[in-house]
Amino acid sequence: MILAKGKLYNSNEQDKILDTLEDEINDTLENKTLLIETVIGAIDRLGRRLEAGEFDSLLSEFGISGFERYKDMAAVMLSRENIEHKIKTELGEYFYLPRLTSPPRGQKRIKIKPMPLGTILHIAAGNVDGLPAYSVAEGLLTGNVNILKLPAADNGLSIEIIRQLTQIEPALADYIYVFDTPSSDIHAMKRMADMSDAISVWGGDEAVAAVRRLAPTSAKIIEWGHKLGFAYISGYSDREKELSALAEHIAATRQLLCSSCQTIYIDTESMADIHAFCTEFLPYLQRAVNKYPPMSIGEKAEITLLRYNEIIEKAISGSIDSAQLYRGENCALIPCTDSELELSPMFCNCNVKRLPQKDILKVLRRKKGYLQTVGLICREEKRDSLTDALAKCGVVRITRSGDMSETFSGEAHDGEYPLRRYTRIVNIESI
Amino acid sequence: MKYRKELFKTKDPFDTKYSNMRFFRAAKENFAFQYKNCAEYRKIADSFVSPDDIKSYEDIDKIPCLPTLVFKNHKLFSTKKYKMPITATSSGTKGKYSEVGFDTGGLWCGLKMVLKISKLRQLFSLRPCRYIIFGYKPHKGNRTAVTKTAFGATFFAPAISRTYALKFSDGKYTADLEGIINAVVKYGKSKIPLRFMGFPSYTYFFLKTMDERGIYLKLNKHSKIMLGGGWKQFYTEQVDKSTLYALAKKVLGISDENIVEFFGAVEHPILYCDCKNHHFHVPAYSRVIIRDVDTLEPLGYGKTGLVNLITPMIKATPILSVMTDDLGVLHDGKECGCGLSSPYLEIIGRVGLSDIKTCAAGAADILSEVKL
Repeated sequence: MILAKGKLYNSNEQDKILDTLEDEINDTLENKTLLIETVIGAIDRLGRRLEAGEFDSLLSEFGISGFERYKDMAAVMLSRENIEHKIKTELGEYFYLPRLTSPPRGQKRIKIKPMPLGTILHIAAGNVDGLPAYSVAEGLLTGNVNILKLPAADNGLSIEIIRQLTQIEPALADYIYVFDTPSSDIHAMKRMADMSDAISVWGGDEAVAAVRRLAPTSAKIIEWGHKLGFAYISGYSDREKELSALAEHIAATRQLLCSSCQTIYIDTESMADIHAFCTEFLPYLQRAVNKYPPMSIGEKAEITLLRYNEIIEKAISGSIDSAQLYRGENCALIPCTDSELELSPMFCNCNVKRLPQKDILKVLRRKKGYLQTVGLICREEKRDSLTDALAKCGVVRITRSGDMSETFSGEAHDGEYPLRRYTRIVNIESI
Repeated sequence: MKYRKELFKTKDPFDTKYSNMRFFRAAKENFAFQYKNCAEYRKIADSFVSPDDIKSYEDIDKIPCLPTLVFKNHKLFSTKKYKMPITATSSGTKGKYSEVGFDTGGLWCGLKMVLKISKLRQLFSLRPCRYIIFGYKPHKGNRTAVTKTAFGATFFAPAISRTYALKFSDGKYTADLEGIINAVVKYGKSKIPLRFMGFPSYTYFFLKTMDERGIYLKLNKHSKIMLGGGWKQFYTEQVDKSTLYALAKKVLGISDENIVEFFGAVEHPILYCDCKNHHFHVPAYSRVIIRDVDTLEPLGYGKTGLVNLITPMIKATPILSVMTDDLGVLHDGKECGCGLSSPYLEIIGRVGLSDIKTCAAGAADILSEVKL
């Protein structure tokens, strides 16, 4: 299904739509301006309708599991106050007000006029329900024309959300084109890329590399890649509470998110401390894992196989302290002799490694570009110095252990403000 | 490898009761050999157990069991390349595949095994036939075990011709279903038996297409359908075996006693051939351990778990004990009723996580790899 100018078309009309797309976009860029207020109003109304339960049957139709739980959160996120707060945080209060510079030493003043980039091609990933629509909303808030290439795994929810938005506010229709082009259709993707000022790509290394290959050199590539999270423990403020929160986080996210804890680092040089930690932490992890419903036998088997394979790989590379594994039911802790930050076997199977404070920078820098969230557990008096040390390595979120995957209003995304990246500054010499 | 030789001399190829001692000695001998000659294997073993810890037949479940994924990430060999007349690969996608080397001694054992096991379903015949292969036409760039096995199966009876469904041209394989249908219709009119060999999914698709088009034949009664290579690529299309048998009878006039299914993997090159009741009994040269999906502890009969296959047949690659990504159940042989007493293996599916969404770096690759 394709959505263009608020209307749905069959996928086989893709080439016909692409043939006239550039002219249509140019017409929009030339003759229309999208006011930020229009976009905020539309998103806010969408949020209210969601809150009132108008989309309940639609969401259950798309099989969004536990949507009731997310409904309240989504309603808050889509609310006017929240969007205004996001804009204020990311762009500052008076970003769109044209103003003059005031340079020192009598130099010439120049006008600052913030503008949208123009056209953004969003190559979205299917790893979070509704993420493609979210990416488009950010493009709209900055006044851009948006071409969205849906992920292969999209279940039709994104296009429906966007269609609802254009029905609420028809003025948005000229700014949104949604295609369900498969990633293998390089020719069509190249045509879309050639029309765009920027390409916003979500996904793993392979997706990002593919976009780099097809994008014209002139296009700005805005990458939202996959990342790694970890916990760092250097003493405790409230041992039981902190360990319970970390275990709960691991069990709740199943270690599948960028912000999920993949490796637990202990500020020590001794393997004995690692084993002692595993012994102590396993019951916490077990309690947390027990709260989540049991999986099917096929899922259990795959998780066990992933974990077992990881043990064998570690045995070959010599980075495991014997094949000793602290295994609970549906969870395990893997004591490792190396200090590399790496993906765990996931699904509540966590690596535990040594990382003395003095080595933090040296070790973590090796994963620069992948560092995202660290859940920091330490004595309060050490929190500031450890926060500093971790920030210097390149991590972009430092939270309490239980809040690693929490969403904070106004927070940056992977260390950057998306709205900033979707805008440009025009300088105009005044007479 | 004198104990290996001794094991493969076992007269009854389905004697898993009295061959236990021979199996144990051969497995221990193989373990010691791999431990000495393959550095990676030694490192793995050192994390678990040493050859000296394997003291009796009951200890064979302690021999390090390697997941098949390991062979995709590492090329593991225990003899020099020149001592392996054949290497075979799994049909892995995305450029990742297992590579297994076969030493001459192992190949001799394999030949003996095939000769003995194929008697079970009277696969050998002097009556010439035409082969229809739902698989790959051999090509020098294709070293997959599936291709080799399918080709090998065309020697059970003298071949007048071989027609392949997957042909190699312009650097890739393409499926030629129309060509196959035309050939079957043409050959079906003669009195020469046809033998079909290949993936069950392709065979089923072919039979279904014939049925839809209303093409029904009555082939010579010595015709056979041999199925091999598993259902892996088409798990969602898996049909009940009885549906396939009924269709074969309806479309080709081949009744179910002439339908033979094989099971095997490049990482466990033992010929599993189904009995007349279509069950895979464990041959004397192999042992199956079903392992708990959580703890990996061995389970008894009737319980579903991960399938661990053990054979001391190969020296060149440490595939002594491997863990597949299949889920299976082992049944007491007596339940089958075909007369064989060795336990039989039922494959009931593959490991699998449904619809996993992740943004952790590298996770999507790992999740897709495990299912290659």
